[in-house]
Amino acid sequence: MVDALLETKLLRPRPRRGTVPRRRLASLLARADEAPVTLVSAPAGFGKTTLVESWLRPGDRPVAWVSLDEGDRRLTSFMSYVLTALDRTVPGSAGAALTLWRSGQAPAETMLAGVLNELSVHDGDLTLVLDDYHLADGPEVAEVLAFVVDHLPPQLHLVLSTRSDPALPLPRLRARGELVEIRAADLRFDGDEVAAYLNDLHDLDLPAAAVAALETRTEGWVTALQLAVLSLRDRADPQRFIDRFTGDARFVVDYLVEEVLHRQPDDVRRFLLDTSVLERLTASLCDALSDQPGRGLSMLEQLERDNLFVVPLDEHRSWFRYHHLFADVLRAHLRRERPGDIPELHRRASRWFAQEGAVEAAVRHALAAGDDATAAELAEEAIPDLRRRRREDVILRWVDDLPAGVVRDRPVLAIGLVGGLMASNDFAGVEARLTDVEAMLARPASELVVVDPGELASVPARVEMYRAALALVSGDPAATISHAHRAIAAAPAGDHLSLAAASGLAGLASWATGDIVTAHESYVVCAAGLERADHIADVLGCSLTIADLELALGRLGDADRTLRRALDLARRRGSDGEVLRGTADMLVALSRVAWHRDDLPAAAELLRRADALGESAGLPQNPYRWRVAMARLRAAERDWPAALELINDAERVYVGDFSPPVHPVHATRARMLAASGDLALARSWVREHGVAAGDDLSYLREYEHVTLARILLAGQRATGETGSLHEAIVLLDRLLDGAEAGGRGGTVIEIEVLRALAHHSAGADQPALAALERAVDLAEPDGWLRFFLEPGPGMGELLGDLARRRPDSELVVRLLERRADGILPREVTREARGTLPDPLSERELDVLRLLGSDLGGPAIARELFVSLNTVRTHTRHIYTKLGVNNRRAAISRAHQLGLLTRTAR
Amino acid sequence: MSTAHEPDRVEIRLRGHLDERWSSWFDGLTVELEADGVTLLRGRVADQSALHGLLARLRDLGIPLISVAVVPVPSQQSRTRGTQP
Repeated sequence: MVDALLETKLLRPRPRRGTVPRRRLASLLARADEAPVTLVSAPAGFGKTTLVESWLRPGDRPVAWVSLDEGDRRLTSFMSYVLTALDRTVPGSAGAALTLWRSGQAPAETMLAGVLNELSVHDGDLTLVLDDYHLADGPEVAEVLAFVVDHLPPQLHLVLSTRSDPALPLPRLRARGELVEIRAADLRFDGDEVAAYLNDLHDLDLPAAAVAALETRTEGWVTALQLAVLSLRDRADPQRFIDRFTGDARFVVDYLVEEVLHRQPDDVRRFLLDTSVLERLTASLCDALSDQPGRGLSMLEQLERDNLFVVPLDEHRSWFRYHHLFADVLRAHLRRERPGDIPELHRRASRWFAQEGAVEAAVRHALAAGDDATAAELAEEAIPDLRRRRREDVILRWVDDLPAGVVRDRPVLAIGLVGGLMASNDFAGVEARLTDVEAMLARPASELVVVDPGELASVPARVEMYRAALALVSGDPAATISHAHRAIAAAPAGDHLSLAAASGLAGLASWATGDIVTAHESYVVCAAGLERADHIADVLGCSLTIADLELALGRLGDADRTLRRALDLARRRGSDGEVLRGTADMLVALSRVAWHRDDLPAAAELLRRADALGESAGLPQNPYRWRVAMARLRAAERDWPAALELINDAERVYVGDFSPPVHPVHATRARMLAASGDLALARSWVREHGVAAGDDLSYLREYEHVTLARILLAGQRATGETGSLHEAIVLLDRLLDGAEAGGRGGTVIEIEVLRALAHHSAGADQPALAALERAVDLAEPDGWLRFFLEPGPGMGELLGDLARRRPDSELVVRLLERRADGILPREVTREARGTLPDPLSERELDVLRLLGSDLGGPAIARELFVSLNTVRTHTRHIYTKLGVNNRRAAISRAHQLGLLTRTAR
Repeated sequence: MSTAHEPDRVEIRLRGHLDERWSSWFDGLTVELEADGVTLLRGRVADQSALHGLLARLRDLGIPLISVAVVPVPSQQSRTRGTQP
């Protein structure tokens, strides 16, 4: 119920009954229709929201509406709402950015650039309304909004309604004529409008002098006029009221609210004051607060009917709020008249929200009631569930809100707050908090306050776990591992999450030092713990790493099983046909297993299935991983232009994560360049990345050094120069030592194949054959094939020799068969490509290719010498024909269908 | 405005008379009514952020602001200020 309440922030406000048409503002609003930015800036109660709503309602332009509140000063919250609103208005435009944002792995500007780029080719304009922007305006949000304003595509119109001018470069916008401003002077009702409001709309039938007096006294402030109407309604002698009102020097709203309250029956007046402590009202909540239970519903209906400043928040009219200005005055009355009742009202609200499971509001009201202990207890109880649901943003708020005094005796709460800080990368002060927690644990148990004693048992393990995380962040793997081991030793039986987290940290640290045997063991423990703790989405992420390590370790069959098991888990745990995020990543990883086994049709089919699941099934890294996998497939087919186009695209959409980048995309690209015969570009990669045969070798750069060896061999094949051959042999020998010492069986197979070729080229057939024989022995059990098929001439001769020596080797027989087929027929996977029922036109293919670049809509238009509108129309046709709704999906579908290959230069 | 812990005295003038009940709303500032419908809020605020919070509350009430004056409270530190360059 209360989560649904957040939805109300994205609803357009309902049209208000009875508004005066603002014809006076027509020309201003007509300019605003075209303006990039419209600023509606005026004090409270000037009818900003009503104006924007009634201005945009009749238009056919879609509107993304966000009603901001105080919580949106935090960028996390602000971005989530804005991206959700945009994606609902233009489906596909911001979904991927939202995932990336929630994963905390990219800065706001990077993601927004992608969203704005998408909107820049969207066929149709849209308006983004940020209502009550003053509530969110702060340094973080302002910086992001300034970026949006600077990069606004022509299709997007931004409307801000605010009580204070925003921290944006307004003078620059004014100078460029990109800003329309609607301010208090414009919003104020003039004489005619006041007359229309009082006499036409509310039938008060006042004489011109009375209208003029009210206009002067209220200065055309619509809220004051509204209150005046409430005071005048059903009055026997309106003139007397007007005379008194205009003769009084009091602040207009103060005077009028008192008037209005004075005229209410006692029970209504009491209800208004009681419920003024609430930010949002619903019948049962009002009942919980009042001494007259059961009246909530009828009372809210009556208030709405009487126009008493209640604003409905949802379609069903179950939630309302008071008009802000009215609520402020009510609260001031409550403070003055019944200050002693305020804590009890908040206490009752807190209890109601706690029962409804809305812990955030419950804690807020408990704090307002002065019940710090209750607030602390509610927070402590809620934290485990918030952690599971990845709602650390809520926990983070409590770090600021809960008084230090109440945390001092609560070790479980204190460690929970640390969890919130860690999840938001806020590491400063964490160590001091951990020391405090340890000091608490040293005190007698009778002095401590703990809600769930079971949670207390986990605190020592969690202290060490967070220390391990701090050490990892500061780049100290040795300390990470030792703290993680202490955490594992301290974790009580059944605390799967602490065990999993500490093992994961130890695994990451081991991986970073190149000890992948230990890293693998740690990750397996981590995944099992996560599964027992029911964190299924994290099990998927963890399985990817495990499979990656298994490939490096030479355990191809195990990698296959790990991924299939995770896939099966995702299928069983995905609820109501919803595909669990990470499922697509499993399929992409499995395609790599199939590629290693040279089952290219299966690899292609897996990639097709991953693509068909859509963006919501993938982790933020999936777009680039999918492209790398598809590039490998095309390279296996010797379709070099497609392979290179894909790998360039992969670099463009690359998103890192916490893992060490042991297979950098640029190195994969260099391998493809070398294999395709483009030695010049491959060698420029060597120079750019400073990869040298004489480097100190380490696991972290092993992939790059093997790439260098491949380039040296390719150079020797092309030119016959023996210098680079010798260099390659020395490098490969050293790499082999390292891979063997590290237990990296997968790498050993690859290196032995390359050594066999190198020695063969050097005319040393015995060592060549020995190396190949060793590679075959290692590859045979799990069926590694691809490493033997990639390198160039010489392999056929060597395999023939080996076949005589090892007539019983099935692997050698299979490899010889493949080579007899002419290495590989081109496009063996064409059947998996499919065709379009309605093919793209040549022009659409031109646009499609540019959609794969970083160019925005206007730049694409310039490139093709057409108008932006033409680009937009083509884009819409392309999306429809490909069955996608954004650029990234269009490009991957195009690669899938081989469209870019056929048009490649 | 001093950055020391000494609270500052503020005098805020508003257009329109405010009822005395607003005193607690505005952190206990006294509400004094002057001629010509001007309200004077007077008292101490803890620091700059308290002052900004106060101004935001006035903004949210929509009451027109005429002037804001901050009068430093004389303290030992401020008395020696003259000797600093």
